[in-house]
Amino acid sequence: MSTELPESAVPPPTGAGESSPAPTRRTFIATSTAVGGAVVAGGAIGGSFLAAPEEVAAAEAPPSSPVSLTVNGSRRTVTVDNRTSLLDLLREHLDLTGSKKGCNAGACGACTVLVDGRRVNSCLTLAVRLEGAEVTTIEGLADGDQLHPLQQAFIDEDAFQCGYCTPGQIVSGVGCIQEGHTGSPEEIREWMSGNICRCGCYVKIVRAVEQTAGRK
Amino acid sequence: MSPQPQAAVGAPLSRVDGRLKVTGNAQYAAEFDVDGAVHAVIVDASIGRGRITGIDTGAAEAQPGVLRVIHHGNAPKLPYRDNAGSNNPPGRRQRVFQDDRVLFHGQPVAVVVATTLEAAQHGASLVKVEYDAVQPSTDLHDAERDKPTKYARGDAEAGLRDAPVRLDVTYELARNHHNPMEPHATIARWDGDKLTVWDKTQWVVGTHDELAAVFDLPAEAVRVINPFVGGGFGSGLRCWPHSVVAALAARETKRPVKLVLSRKQMYFGTGFRPSYEYRLRLGSDGRGRLTAAIHDIDAETSSYETFTEAVMGAGQMTYSMPNVRQAYRTVPLDVNTPIWMRGPGFASASFVIESAMDELAHKLGVDPIELRRRNEPNEDESSNLPFSTRRLRECYTVGAREFGWQRRSARPRSRREGDWLIGLGMAAGVYDPGRYPAQARARLDADGTAVVEAATSDMGPGTYTSQTQVAADALGLTMRTVTFRLGDSLYPQTGPHGGSSTMASVGTAVHDACNQVRRQAIKLAVEDRESPLYGVKADDVVVRGGRLHMKDNPARGETYRTLLARNDRTHLEAGGSYTGPPSPARHSYHAYNATFAEVAVDATLGLVRVRRMLGVYDAGRIISPKLADSQAIGGIVGGIGTALLEHTATDHRDGRIVNANLADYLVPVNADVPDVRAIYLDGEDNDGNALGVKGLGEVVQVGVAAAIGNAVFNATGRRVRELPITAEALL
Repeated sequence: MSTELPESAVPPPTGAGESSPAPTRRTFIATSTAVGGAVVAGGAIGGSFLAAPEEVAAAEAPPSSPVSLTVNGSRRTVTVDNRTSLLDLLREHLDLTGSKKGCNAGACGACTVLVDGRRVNSCLTLAVRLEGAEVTTIEGLADGDQLHPLQQAFIDEDAFQCGYCTPGQIVSGVGCIQEGHTGSPEEIREWMSGNICRCGCYVKIVRAVEQTAGRK
Repeated sequence: MSPQPQAAVGAPLSRVDGRLKVTGNAQYAAEFDVDGAVHAVIVDASIGRGRITGIDTGAAEAQPGVLRVIHHGNAPKLPYRDNAGSNNPPGRRQRVFQDDRVLFHGQPVAVVVATTLEAAQHGASLVKVEYDAVQPSTDLHDAERDKPTKYARGDAEAGLRDAPVRLDVTYELARNHHNPMEPHATIARWDGDKLTVWDKTQWVVGTHDELAAVFDLPAEAVRVINPFVGGGFGSGLRCWPHSVVAALAARETKRPVKLVLSRKQMYFGTGFRPSYEYRLRLGSDGRGRLTAAIHDIDAETSSYETFTEAVMGAGQMTYSMPNVRQAYRTVPLDVNTPIWMRGPGFASASFVIESAMDELAHKLGVDPIELRRRNEPNEDESSNLPFSTRRLRECYTVGAREFGWQRRSARPRSRREGDWLIGLGMAAGVYDPGRYPAQARARLDADGTAVVEAATSDMGPGTYTSQTQVAADALGLTMRTVTFRLGDSLYPQTGPHGGSSTMASVGTAVHDACNQVRRQAIKLAVEDRESPLYGVKADDVVVRGGRLHMKDNPARGETYRTLLARNDRTHLEAGGSYTGPPSPARHSYHAYNATFAEVAVDATLGLVRVRRMLGVYDAGRIISPKLADSQAIGGIVGGIGTALLEHTATDHRDGRIVNANLADYLVPVNADVPDVRAIYLDGEDNDGNALGVKGLGEVVQVGVAAAIGNAVFNATGRRVRELPITAEALL
């Protein structure tokens, strides 16, 4: 699964201290620490990226930026703390809690959304990078009351139990089908392995993806 | 079961909450939109044992958005009333921010409350804590044992001494973490002296009681809500310290507080399946009839609580033998307290016993299934009670046939496909399902729909669906017209959603409540001169699709709606209950399985790949076959994790868990799970519950790791006596 964004989705620097037009995760940690922000994927708790006191003192207000993006077809313009991940933007600010936080470190796939049609881990994606991007979450898949065929297949195949990884699995499955990685159960298993299901529904997830791909 | 026609029970129905889950609309604990909620992030101790000598919160408090930093230096004293319930083990439970002592690496030492999540997270990273650290003791092999819990029958020493065939093996089992996909989370809100929490838990009643005890509140002042649980596997069976932290932070800041554990914090903020060192000595005659077994079992616990689990049961009753001795010792370490994890005790013991049986079979040159058949007991030799049902022989027969066991070569390392060595293995599994008193309430409304409530949970097995099935049949309604509600401490009380207890316990209470409501309606009809059923014997009336009619004459009847409307009744209502298993016990009541595995092991690299697995289950009546199938497959997947991947690794120098994340603590992913199949034997077990169920959530994981280990031996000729079985061990 890709955690990098398509080039077009990367906005120019917003003047809050970032200088790289396409920051890698590592450079982001370095640059954001310099302006007093240090929240990236699972690392901040317990002081892993402790900023020096003088750097903290320099930070008078959390740097924030406006960002305008399309979420499930609706244009949203918000001003967010630069440290905000796309996942936290969705869950904490836009009331779209369908995308789940499982590990906040890109290891479990529960937060998978489509950005400009590509699956990404929204927990590793900074919201302010998404100027002009089109984001599709689990809430955007159904057409009114009509479920997306993969959503229906998940119900029919009982491809979930607790349901917590399910939105990520389904969005990832939609991406997997669009990418054409559904030639065989083995191929689906490989290309769906970025999404952990602790209840162990993999056999049925593969079946649901396979059937839905076959209907296209 | 009631005399009602069975339409929903036993039918392969899809989940009633499926739509909510696939659209992202199911609300888990952290997702409730509580007005004005602020965010809390815990600061974890960075030493393994010692004292806090100073906390500098200045930098954190200077952060925009940070409201408070709470720690032992400024936290109010909390009452922490004794609470033997709520699954608190013997000992002295963690008391958050009540003193300067650090008992294990990761213990909460402070909490930062801020208006935004970002500010709280960053604030937590800025809290500077000074410690006076001492060397923690975290190595199971290098610590004092507690006094053992013992069991004995016959003379095991003599039996072993006299046995013509002997085995003396020691197995090591790694610590496993549940790692449910949903992190534990709590939203706490105070309204005056009343506390409401939305909390990830497998037992709203237990969490309710614990919070009432910690804050010394009357029962009616606390409410716990949790309609959806994003996986548990046991991690939600206790109220963990972070829930208290959230409630404390909310009280101190006078704001609702949301606190979500990070994935890393899940490794020390909640419990785990303890690591074991398990020595087993087995004696048998020349034909493989067991004569004696000695079990020496050591398991980790914390320094402040003594956690135990049912690790002795399997060794006492799985196989027939006259002489058994067991000693189970807990080993207090500077770690947080373990908790039950899927198949608790039995899954750990079964890995050892079922692996050893395979070793014995190999030593004797007897087929592993045949060896087990030769040791099948006629009664439970630990209690001398007859089995309610025990169909393990059938599990073997069906499993061997469906899996193609006859194709297995008894000689290890005899099947090869290219680089891969192929092996088949099997194991038996047994579990002692829980049965706890439970209450439920059913209400039939005048519009012909019903609502049924109980304070149970649904962590994934499908409680919503299966209880609706039970209720629908007992009420004579369609699934669509019955709503089952759970996950609220205001609902009728139940035991914990764990130990495979829910269907037998809550299901029986639901069944009882719904039967009563149906009988009320029938009584109303047969005594109502205007009813077409007037004068009919109540026992001759059934209800189907919301319509009461004579059993033998479906044309004669009327609907609930008509009946209630004519009688000016807005609703009919009843409470139902389950009082627990028969006491004294009349039967040995257990669920069983035979689990089969085929693995491929790379001859050069030692990589183990599971190729296919099958479980065959004797689990009583299956209420919801479609969901039970998923649960069994999931249990096998969990067992694959225990067998091949899962291992919480601690750095004994400072007590830190070094792989506290999902990239380094490996769990099975899709590519690890090719072909898994489950078969439930048709049947029922009527030992003390009207539904004929045994419970199945645990037994499906018992024996899985042994079946895989035995397949690895069959493939390679290498017996790995340590979990997980890794490539390194096979090189």
